[in-house]
Amino acid sequence: MTDAFLVALGGVTEPYTLLLMAVATFAGIVAAAIPGFTITMAIVLTLPLTFAMPPMQGIAVMLSVYVGGLSGGLFSAALLGIPGTPSSVATTFDAFPMARQGHPGKALSLGLFASFVGSIISIAVLIVAAPPLALLAVKLGPWEYFALIIFALTVIASLVGDSLIRGLIAGLIGIGIATIGPDPLMGRERFTFGYEILTAGIPFLVVLIGMYAMSQLLSELEPAAGDKQPSSGALISGDMRPHLWQTIKDILLKPANVIRSSLLGVFIGAVPGAGSSISNLLAYDQAKRASKHPETFGKGEPQGVVASESGNSSTVGGSLIPLIALGIPGSPADAVLMAAIMVHGISIGPRLILDHPDLVYSMFIAMAIASVFMLLIGVILMRAFLRLLNVPKYIVVPVVLACCAIGTYTLNNRLSDLYLLACIGAVGYLLKKLDYPLAPLVLGVVLGPIAETNLRRAFQTSTDWTLFFTRPISALLLTLAVVSVIYSIYSYMKQRRLMAHRLDATSK
Amino acid sequence: MERRSAETALIPALQVLSYLFIALGALFMAFKAGSLPASRWEPMSAGTFPQIIFFSIAILCGMAVIFELSKHGLPRTTFCIAWRRLTALKAVIINLVLFTVYMIAMPIAGFIISTFVYLLTTQLYLAPRKATTVVLAIFVAILFSAGPYYLFSEAFNIYLPRAQW
Repeated sequence: MTDAFLVALGGVTEPYTLLLMAVATFAGIVAAAIPGFTITMAIVLTLPLTFAMPPMQGIAVMLSVYVGGLSGGLFSAALLGIPGTPSSVATTFDAFPMARQGHPGKALSLGLFASFVGSIISIAVLIVAAPPLALLAVKLGPWEYFALIIFALTVIASLVGDSLIRGLIAGLIGIGIATIGPDPLMGRERFTFGYEILTAGIPFLVVLIGMYAMSQLLSELEPAAGDKQPSSGALISGDMRPHLWQTIKDILLKPANVIRSSLLGVFIGAVPGAGSSISNLLAYDQAKRASKHPETFGKGEPQGVVASESGNSSTVGGSLIPLIALGIPGSPADAVLMAAIMVHGISIGPRLILDHPDLVYSMFIAMAIASVFMLLIGVILMRAFLRLLNVPKYIVVPVVLACCAIGTYTLNNRLSDLYLLACIGAVGYLLKKLDYPLAPLVLGVVLGPIAETNLRRAFQTSTDWTLFFTRPISALLLTLAVVSVIYSIYSYMKQRRLMAHRLDATSK
Repeated sequence: MERRSAETALIPALQVLSYLFIALGALFMAFKAGSLPASRWEPMSAGTFPQIIFFSIAILCGMAVIFELSKHGLPRTTFCIAWRRLTALKAVIINLVLFTVYMIAMPIAGFIISTFVYLLTTQLYLAPRKATTVVLAIFVAILFSAGPYYLFSEAFNIYLPRAQW
């Protein structure tokens, strides 16, 4: 164990790797700070650059983009009042008023330091939780694995989007897409209809880039409803100095908020589908409830900024728990990380930590170092980010679309993937317009082959299907899947009743 | 039953159509999966799992249609509203077409030329008509067409498509 740790430490702290990580952290912050450019897009576009790197270096670079990206949304949230990514929606509530009151530097440094503390707490939890969970997961049979994937997909479908049924349909469409091409056990060709383009199947990264990046970028070109986007230069005036020591003191002297928000973020990150876009709002809500003066929230309250930013940044450690321990990505960004590891011929799953402990340790170390970079780069380049926020959409959209094409082509050096990308991107945009959540679909493509392999292995071992319900862990997971669906229906009906009640009240 | 106006009924109407379309596609795929040969070595053939998935999709789509119709009735909208919404998405559609042409052209014209033309055309279409934006668009098009090509070939030994002439 010590050997593996030292190998990992040596690998990550090589000067060239550190330099690449610093650049990647900066790129992640910039990408997330530009409204319309998501963290997943940034990680997807980084992937082809890591092909030529050793696995440890490649993963360190991708994690740096991830960590940087989770705090990058703070800049546009605080300086423009627009969340750069969905993870920083709650940050706008207090960071933007604080910046408008003449303290933009304080708003940013509070957010950056809270993000740093959140990341560090999440890494600590990851180090403690992932190895024992992986040791437990090694003992799981195909019944439990299949049940786990059913549970993960139902949770994702019920948490993301407005409609459980559309979430489930999207998840199943994703699994259906994954069945195209050779079957995972015997290699028999399925649903290719004689087209050579489909014989190797549809690579999940092409689906991810098409569905996520392309549909998001095309949405950016839609006419804005109502208000015009304010220009940052016109809004920001006042003290841009970070006052870092004062900020550190303020946060560390009242640690309850940052610890609560971070732990909440870790927990939410570990639940498949529930990522930083949910955690920042929940952490903010909890901070407001716990505060002695909740009326100051929304008017530039520092604790609001701290709660939101530590809540979203801490999801990174949480989301890596199921990925490292079980081989199940909880979000599209984690799916790309998984691909980055698999590109180097390393299989993901509970054996990852047993077979490649150095790689897992390097992930922990890289995240910690990236958190430090994020804080330093954010504080030092605070003023420069103000300029970067003004990159116009007419440059961002076509350039990122071209980068999507590069990313898609370099995955397999296959031109046919480019045609698939255009088709999947158009379908993704259409589904998004029709309010189908895309996260379950993308994760369905990743989880589908794992589900099929385990289901078929289970039946190869025994034809008794009742084993899915009689083996305790499998039964528990399937029960949880049913509970998550029932709870989702119950919450929806409760929400409808509440809305009807409000409508009645306003009409009287 | 809550009724909707023709304007607000557009998305639900399209959603109902999408459920029907997806259900039909899923049923077709499920029957295709059923025609895959059974395996001698395992109880589940290569077609069983896809069959379960595609039948589930069809059932869920059917349920979605029933829920929608029982809750709000048949969503009634007009072609005029649909056309207005579609024309509002002109920039998206043109970009999608440009991107598709770019994807088709890349294997023939090569990465550098196709990317340069795509970036320049798209930026000029989206950007305000000013001399500075034209200069900026040309600069960005050159930077992001030649830049990645040489970065990938020189630094990573990955060769992006070359022109076929």
